[in-house]
Amino acid sequence: MSGSQAADQKDDAALIARMRAGEQSAMADLYDRYSGVVYGVALRVLASTTAAEDVVQEIFLQLWRNPQAFDAERGRLAPWLAVIARNRAIDHLRKRPMESDIDELPISTGVDLESDSAQKLAIEKVRGVLAQLPPDQRKALEMAYFEGMTHTEIAGKTGEPLGTIKTRIRTGLLALRKAFA
Amino acid sequence: MNGHPQYAEALALYALGAMDNAQELTELEAHLGTCGECRRELESLRADSALLALSAVGPKPPDRARQRLLSAIAAEPRVERRQRRPIVIGRLRSRWLSFAPITVMLLLAIFSLLLGINLRNVQREVRQARERERQLHEQLAQAQHAQEILAMLTDPSAMQLAQAQHAQEILAMLTDPTAMRVKLVSTPQTRPQPLIQTIYKPENGHILLMANNCPMPPSNKVYELWLLPANGGAPMPAGTFKPDAGGNGMMMHPMETAGIAAKGFAVTIENEGGSQTPTPPIVMAPAS
Repeated sequence: MSGSQAADQKDDAALIARMRAGEQSAMADLYDRYSGVVYGVALRVLASTTAAEDVVQEIFLQLWRNPQAFDAERGRLAPWLAVIARNRAIDHLRKRPMESDIDELPISTGVDLESDSAQKLAIEKVRGVLAQLPPDQRKALEMAYFEGMTHTEIAGKTGEPLGTIKTRIRTGLLALRKAFA
Repeated sequence: MNGHPQYAEALALYALGAMDNAQELTELEAHLGTCGECRRELESLRADSALLALSAVGPKPPDRARQRLLSAIAAEPRVERRQRRPIVIGRLRSRWLSFAPITVMLLLAIFSLLLGINLRNVQREVRQARERERQLHEQLAQAQHAQEILAMLTDPSAMQLAQAQHAQEILAMLTDPTAMRVKLVSTPQTRPQPLIQTIYKPENGHILLMANNCPMPPSNKVYELWLLPANGGAPMPAGTFKPDAGGNGMMMHPMETAGIAAKGFAVTIENEGGSQTPTPPIVMAPAS
């Protein structure tokens, strides 16, 4: 981990500590830093600004109520929030009741996402990797992740064998990992 | 990952929540419970998926969303997490037993701790097992919570005695190693995967059913559980239930005759009040 990443992670921990102490300004700071992550992911899944705003509201409100849900020693806030946003948006899409708590699994990634410039670099890199994937592979990955489809549903929609879909999804994820290794 | 390549693709699907084969799911989760290498790979795949999420980052929420959130926070009193921790309350439909909400809360809390049929709970338990040493303070809070539950169970002033006895009966079944346990899954498989856990004690004929992810049956319909006798006899009605809005439910049912050996259970959808013979199709059957 670089020095700046360590400092950013410390900032996340400090923000959470302030929230635990009940500082509303900490929530405002955290929102300003990460609402774009949550909203962008929710909007990509739901294709509705209103529904995406609801997901943003729900997630940040739950984090305010339960700041202990995030463990700064086990990961970073940005990827953690991105995964929660995706999962909550899929719940919304599938008309499942949203989880009443945000105590999700920790997400450990060494990617620097805290500052605006670091986020932009990482986003550009991810998009570059996705653009280089074979279209069928990228599509399978996006159908699973952003549309919440199961591999059986993807196989049914694309007409491809189940095994092919499984391979495409795993290979696509590994390509992302390799790019950030 | 090098150790278990046979699970490589299944882990990727699992990380995205894209696996819908109940048998594969059961096998993988059993393996994850014993294989640290695959758990680490799963964690890496989840991190990979977080990178995928970044591709969608860009648009900012409108200003009104910020104000809405900050107003909601300002209006909300802060309370300690342990006092607020939500517990899903199931809706019960039994021919002989109806629990007050406090009883249901306690039972589902115990149930979720002991069985963890909810997949998210299973995942959390895997994580909690890894993090136990670092989360002593959380364990302390849970222990205090358990003490509170125990105190309520044993305090007639906090709960009606009859309800406490029912709770204790169910707790006894949950922890009885000799009871017959059958897990039922939906046929055909759907997502999220409906799961029903049945615990049957032939000696007294009691059946405990716990449902998870079950869609609400049509209007005026209920789910009905059937005991399939080991001697090949006709299915026997074993109680009806409806899940709550979250798809969860719990039912305790006494068979009219104790001592019936069962080879399994199945679930159909019947009219309110239940039926004496099952109406096809079978919607939940034992997991293969």
